[in-house]
Amino acid sequence: MRYLLRRSAHAAFLLLGVSLLAFAFTVLAPGSYFDEMRLNPQIAPETIVALRSRYELDRPLPVRYVHWVISLAHGDMGFSFAYNTPVAPLLLVRARNTLLLTVTVMLLAWGIALPLGIWSADHLGRLPDRLLSWGTAALLVIPDLVLALGLLVIAVKMGRLPTGGMVSLNFENLSFLGKTRDLLLHMALPVAALVLSVLPLLVRHVRAAVAEVLLAPFLLAAEGHGIPRRTLLYRYALPAAANPLVALFGFSIGTLLSGSLLIEVVMSWPGLGPFLLEAILARDIYVVIGGVLLSTLFLVGGNFLADLLLYWADPRIRTETGA
Amino acid sequence: MKPERANCSSRRIVFLLLFVLAALFTRPTAGSPPQNNSKEELLVLAGEMGHPGGRLVVALRAEPKTLNPLIALDAPSREVIGAMQADLVHINRATQLTEPALAKSWKISPDGLRYTLVLRSGLKFSDGYPLDADDVLFTFRVYLDEKVHAPQRDLLLFDGKPLSLRKTDSQTIVFQLPKPYGVAERMFDGWAILPKHLLEKPYEEGKIAQLGALATRPNEWAGLGPFRLKEYVAGQRLVLERNPYFWKADEKGNRLPYLNELVFLFVPSADAQVLRFQSGETDVISRLGAENFSVLSRQEGNYTMVDAGPGFEYNFLFFNLSDPTEKTPAEIVQRQKWFREAKFRQAVSAAIDREAIVRLVYQGRGAPLWGLVTPGNRRWQDEKLPHPPRSLDRARTLLKEAGFSWTSASDGEITLLDSGGKPVEFSVVTSSSNADRAKMATLIQDDLKQLGMRVAVVPLEFRSLLDRVTQTKEYDACVLGMVSPDADPNVDVNVWLSRGGTHLWNPSQAHPATPWEAEIDRLIDEQMYARTFEQRKKLYDRAQELLREYQPMIFLASPDILTGAKKSVGNFRPAVLEPYVLWNVEQLYLKNDAVNATR
Repeated sequence: MRYLLRRSAHAAFLLLGVSLLAFAFTVLAPGSYFDEMRLNPQIAPETIVALRSRYELDRPLPVRYVHWVISLAHGDMGFSFAYNTPVAPLLLVRARNTLLLTVTVMLLAWGIALPLGIWSADHLGRLPDRLLSWGTAALLVIPDLVLALGLLVIAVKMGRLPTGGMVSLNFENLSFLGKTRDLLLHMALPVAALVLSVLPLLVRHVRAAVAEVLLAPFLLAAEGHGIPRRTLLYRYALPAAANPLVALFGFSIGTLLSGSLLIEVVMSWPGLGPFLLEAILARDIYVVIGGVLLSTLFLVGGNFLADLLLYWADPRIRTETGA
Repeated sequence: MKPERANCSSRRIVFLLLFVLAALFTRPTAGSPPQNNSKEELLVLAGEMGHPGGRLVVALRAEPKTLNPLIALDAPSREVIGAMQADLVHINRATQLTEPALAKSWKISPDGLRYTLVLRSGLKFSDGYPLDADDVLFTFRVYLDEKVHAPQRDLLLFDGKPLSLRKTDSQTIVFQLPKPYGVAERMFDGWAILPKHLLEKPYEEGKIAQLGALATRPNEWAGLGPFRLKEYVAGQRLVLERNPYFWKADEKGNRLPYLNELVFLFVPSADAQVLRFQSGETDVISRLGAENFSVLSRQEGNYTMVDAGPGFEYNFLFFNLSDPTEKTPAEIVQRQKWFREAKFRQAVSAAIDREAIVRLVYQGRGAPLWGLVTPGNRRWQDEKLPHPPRSLDRARTLLKEAGFSWTSASDGEITLLDSGGKPVEFSVVTSSSNADRAKMATLIQDDLKQLGMRVAVVPLEFRSLLDRVTQTKEYDACVLGMVSPDADPNVDVNVWLSRGGTHLWNPSQAHPATPWEAEIDRLIDEQMYARTFEQRKKLYDRAQELLREYQPMIFLASPDILTGAKKSVGNFRPAVLEPYVLWNVEQLYLKNDAVNATR
């Protein structure tokens, strides 16, 4: 319980610090939302001054921060200059779409990486392991953008998969099965691009962690007792190698909101990516700060979950904490 | 008898009650539009006859931010609002001339101060409520209200004084101007007429700017345009449906628009837009870059690509001629001495190869520029404006006359020196998000190298660039571009006038800094209030000549408007004025409805 409270206090301080930094960086960055109006010959400078004043851009930074915190307490997360509405509903609807994509990617990527990494570690140094290493190395060096564009070009040539968006225009008229199929078809390309971009790293980590454990004397002893190889790998080696992987899993959760931003932009996925990119370029500052805060919340949550998993998985940690 | 009488009177009471109840329930309520029995005066459009039905899908580079014309600033919002709203008098994007819209006729008083507009009778908003002069009075009252902060408000002020208006009957409105205005009836284009029955209450409560969010329910928003709101899915699409009360018809009397639905998909990148057009997910495409246009033109597809010719975008280089402040770095103040020299600017202009810019940046799909008015603006272009070819010799002569000299290094590289012996080195800032302008800056760097000038190209994020150019003024030179929203030069007066905020080289001057700027001010002010086109054109041509002579803005090139549409889209006639492909959306139709229905 004390541990839980300590972690919560840490998280609160972290969120406060991140919000202050995000506020300072976004507000102090050169240019403001209304600067583009300065290039419009039909808008008088006085109008721009009046609009800046309406949105409190002429108020001192601490005042604006306090107002933003009050708005956060009301669940609004500030006000978007561009949309002229509170930020929270704008962010949440897009965060939902991002999570649909990234949770699927995370489950798929870990689901593939674990057996593949274990299999590779089991064949360490042999041809299958080397082929897999080359494959993952090749995927690692290909930038995400190139990967996404390549997949898009293939999709256009094939003409089977939609090249963007989340659902078809006639989605509402489809049956439940039709809707599911349509959604899965639209998810195929961004999911493939994201899985291909995170998979190499995960496979390499699983492989390294398991390979290290496979040389441990207790496993050699277990092998000597005639325990089947499969049981040996999944029942004994994997739990022993879990610590770094659990930490990595926590980190994966932390990147759920931010890990797919670029792919979303390229693939026109209606998530946080295109929304935040536009907000950053337009200096819609409260949207940007809201996005950063939401991502931080996920990072904190992910790390917290990883800690709990470690606590549960590793008796040594339980003993240390207990002592 | 008594009981019978009593029975009779109680029956009467019941009938009376029923009558009252029936009267109460049949009375028009706030939710049902009042009846308008006057005959509808539809505007009949000439052109290719289409057939009704189908859905047109268009991609937008960004999500529109609002449906409220009072606060809309971004291009996607304006494009969507353009399909949902209508104005009193409209500029035809193809002919660039005015044509009747909600007002069937207008009359200008001999002194040019009074405009009498007569509305078409029997028109209705998209929710079925009738339009009358009160809606027009309400609209302009809101636009003119300082508390609303409508960005367009300044266009209704003449020397700081607002226009006024009154109605003489339910269909006639008289606009009174403080001064005669050269733009005449063009000034009524683009002012979306607002539904008083929906917006008056929120306006009185000071909440009108908060209305028109994209998540607005369709029955809470109405306009006079060809389409009305149907559905919005955050981050994905906005669907508009046919307005059954739209006030235009084709020559056979069929009410327009032809299309049942107009769908805007939000596709955030240019390349993704091209891919979705190629894969058939969208029906029309505009704002194409030259490279993507070439790729699509080369491929055999089920679409037609159209180069509509040079648009109204003008790209230019300008030097920082603003008055230095205490905060201005000394190096910039030093370099400003060169920039203030007209012959220096003329030499830079003479050395720039505009043809090469068009060839290399726009792949030949553009026009070189020597003035602010692009070839797309047929009416206002100054035919007499000289178009001298690139001449390094002339540039060198001008620099020599201005006291500059050259020195050669041992490797043969020449360096231009000012009269104090300092090498001429400066930077050109430009937007990093605009690849075309970054290329232009690089070509200019190369051109000026041949004069011995060392130019550093500094791409900056767009808002940072604007901050430097319009706020801190910490820059030497800048490559930028602007797009005129109309053919009439008055939309750009703040670029010309020394007191204007977009007089970029030295904005918002209290007094004109130079005699030629004072002269341009005089010419532009005079043309603004001149009565005939000939008078205005003469004055405007002279201002263009002065700008060319003193080169505070060195004009570079204007790109063509590059568009495309599926072959099944009928009446596709892209214009060079915004909105390029949807300006005649009410006339667009699908030749093969079946294709669309199965999508």
